[in-house]
Amino acid sequence: MKTNKLILTLFVLIVASLALAACGGSAESIAAPQTEDEVAEPQTVAEESAEEASAEEMHEGMLPMVDPTALSGDVVSAGSSTVFPLAEVMAERFLDEGFAGQVTIDSIGSGGGFERFCETGETDVSNASRPIKDSEVESCGALGRTPIEFRVGTDALAVVVSKENDFLSDVTLEELAAIFSTAEKWSDVNAEWPAEDILRYIPGTDSGTFDYFVEEVFDKDEAPILGASNTQLSEDDNVLVQGITGSPYAIGFFGYAYYAENAERLNIAAIDGIEASAETVDAATYPLARPLYIYSDASIMQEKPQVAAYINFCLTYVNEEIVEVGYFPANPAVLEAAQQAWLEAMGQ
Amino acid sequence: MQNSIDLRKKRRWGETLIQASLFIAGAFSILTTVGIVYELGKEAMNFFAQVSLWEYFTGADWNPQIDQFGIWALLNATLMTTFIAMLVALPIGLSISLYLSEYASHRARRTLKPILEVLAGIPTVVYGYFALTFMTPLLRGIFGRDVVDIYNTASAGIVIGILIIPMVSSMSEDALSAVPRALRAAAYGLGATKLETAVKVVLPAAISGIMAAFIVAISRAIGETMIVAVAAGAGSNFTFNPFEAAETMTGHIVRISGGDLSYDSIDYNSIFAIGLTLFFMTLSLNVISQRIVRKYREVYE
Repeated sequence: MKTNKLILTLFVLIVASLALAACGGSAESIAAPQTEDEVAEPQTVAEESAEEASAEEMHEGMLPMVDPTALSGDVVSAGSSTVFPLAEVMAERFLDEGFAGQVTIDSIGSGGGFERFCETGETDVSNASRPIKDSEVESCGALGRTPIEFRVGTDALAVVVSKENDFLSDVTLEELAAIFSTAEKWSDVNAEWPAEDILRYIPGTDSGTFDYFVEEVFDKDEAPILGASNTQLSEDDNVLVQGITGSPYAIGFFGYAYYAENAERLNIAAIDGIEASAETVDAATYPLARPLYIYSDASIMQEKPQVAAYINFCLTYVNEEIVEVGYFPANPAVLEAAQQAWLEAMGQ
Repeated sequence: MQNSIDLRKKRRWGETLIQASLFIAGAFSILTTVGIVYELGKEAMNFFAQVSLWEYFTGADWNPQIDQFGIWALLNATLMTTFIAMLVALPIGLSISLYLSEYASHRARRTLKPILEVLAGIPTVVYGYFALTFMTPLLRGIFGRDVVDIYNTASAGIVIGILIIPMVSSMSEDALSAVPRALRAAAYGLGATKLETAVKVVLPAAISGIMAAFIVAISRAIGETMIVAVAAGAGSNFTFNPFEAAETMTGHIVRISGGDLSYDSIDYNSIFAIGLTLFFMTLSLNVISQRIVRKYREVYE
C-alpha cells in the first residue's frame, strides 16, 4: 500500500511539474519585459546615485565630473605593454559606465606608442612606461602637437627569498643576472653564500613582469633566464610564493603588490643597496621601478571631448583600480599635478 | 500462415528508431576520436614543419621560447611519475584484489568495496593539493628539507599511485573472481593452503586480466594531469632525481595553455605535438594490453 501511494504521489508531481513547465514557457514571453522594467528601473537609479556619491567623494573638487553616456566618438591609444593592463581596466570601466564609442588600446611598447603619437599622429593618447624623449617631443612638434604628461602610477618588481634565507638581503643587478641564469650554486655568485643549488621561481613568459625583468636585467635577451636549471615558471603568483617559502635556497620575483600581500612569509632583497618603499619606488631610485604615464596633447583634448573625458576618468579613478592590477599608486601630489595639467590643457 | 508472413514483413518503426539511435550513440564516440586525431594531427603538422622529428625525439631540453624542442625533458618526467605511481599502485592494488576475491568475508567485501570507490570518486585536483600539502611535507620530513624540493615528481607519483589503486584492484578482482571455482577446489583437494591456492593457482590463471588492468592503469597514470600540474613542478627539467621538480607532458600543456598564448605561435603548436605524442603512447599501450589479453587468456569452460 505504502509504495503504491508513493508512486502515485511521484506521478502526480511529475505531471504537475510538466504542466507548470509548459505554462511557464508560454507565459514568460509575455510577462518578462514588464517585470524586467519594473525591477530594473529602481536598480539603475540606485546605482547611479551611489556612483555619483562616490565620484564626488573622490573628486575633491579637482576635475569636472565625467558623464561617459553624454559622449560620442572614439578614443585611440597605443603604447606600453606595462600600462596596457591598467589602461584596459580603465577603458572597461569607462565603457561600463555608458561610453558609447570605442576605446582602442594597442600594446606595442612605449617607443612604438610615441611613434604613432608623434610621427604618424594616428593616436589620441600614448601609453608609456618611461618619460618621453627629447627627440620624440621634437617630432611631435613637427605635427603641431605638444605632449602633456600624466603620471598614473608606478610599476615595481620585488626580488624575494624565504624568511629562512639569512644570507641574501642586498643584491646587485649583476648578481641578479648571474642568479637567474648561469649560476648553479649560490656560491658561484658570491663566495660568501652557501654552496647550495639555486632554486628559481619566476613568472611565466606571458606576463609583463617576466618581460620587464628580462628587459632590465638581461637586456631583452630571454635565452639565459629560460635556459637556467631548476627554474619553475608560473603565471600563478601563489605557486611562486609556495615554492619560495619552501626552501631557504629559493629565490623569485614578482610585482611588488604581491610581495606586500605575503610580507609575513617572504623577505624582500634590496637592489643595489636600495630598499623598495613607497618613496624609493615613487622617485624611481629603486632600480626595478618605473613610472607609468599616459600622454596626450591640449589641442586633441579640446577638439575631442571624449579624449579629455577619458583622461579625466583615468586620473580620477586610477587609484581605485591600480593596486588590483598590481602596480603602485602614484603619490597624491604627483596625481594632483597630473590633474592640474589636465585643467591647464583644457584652459580652465 | 498468411498472418505470420505479414508480421515478418511489417516494419516496426519503434524498433528501427531505437536501433538508429543506438547506432548514432556508437558512431558519436568514434567520430569524436576521429575529430580529435584530425585536429591534433593538423596542428602538430604545423609544429613538425618547423621542428625536425630528430630534434624532437633526441633533445633533452624543452624551452619553446628559446627554440629548444627536446621532448625528453617532459617525457622523462612523465615516465618518472608513472613509474613511481605503478610502484605504489601495483603491489597495493593487487594485494587488495587478492584479499577481496580470496580472503574477505562477504561482509568485509561489502564494506571495503564502496570505500575504494569513494577513493576513485575524489576529484583529481584535490589529490593534487593532497600531494602538495601532505605528501610533500611528509617526504621532506623523512628525507630532509634540503633533499626534497617543494615541487617534486616523487610526491606527485605516489599520489597518482593512490589515485589508481581502486582501478587496479577492481579490474584485477574481476579477473580473479572469473577464475572457475573448480580450480580452487582442485588445489584444495591436492592439499594446497589458501595462500598457495591464491598465489600459485588463481593468480596465474587470471594473469591476462591482471596484466590488462596494469596497462590500463599505466595509461591512466601517463594521462593524469591535475596532480602533476599542482605538485610536480612547472619548469621542464631533465633529471632522474625524483625529489627534484620536473614538468610532465600533461603539466606543460596545462601551464602553457593557461597563459594568454597567441595562436599560430610555435608554443601553441607545440602543445598539439605533445598531445599527439601522449595519444600515441596511450594508444599503443591499449593495443599491447589487448594483445596480451588475447595471447595469455586461459579458457577453462
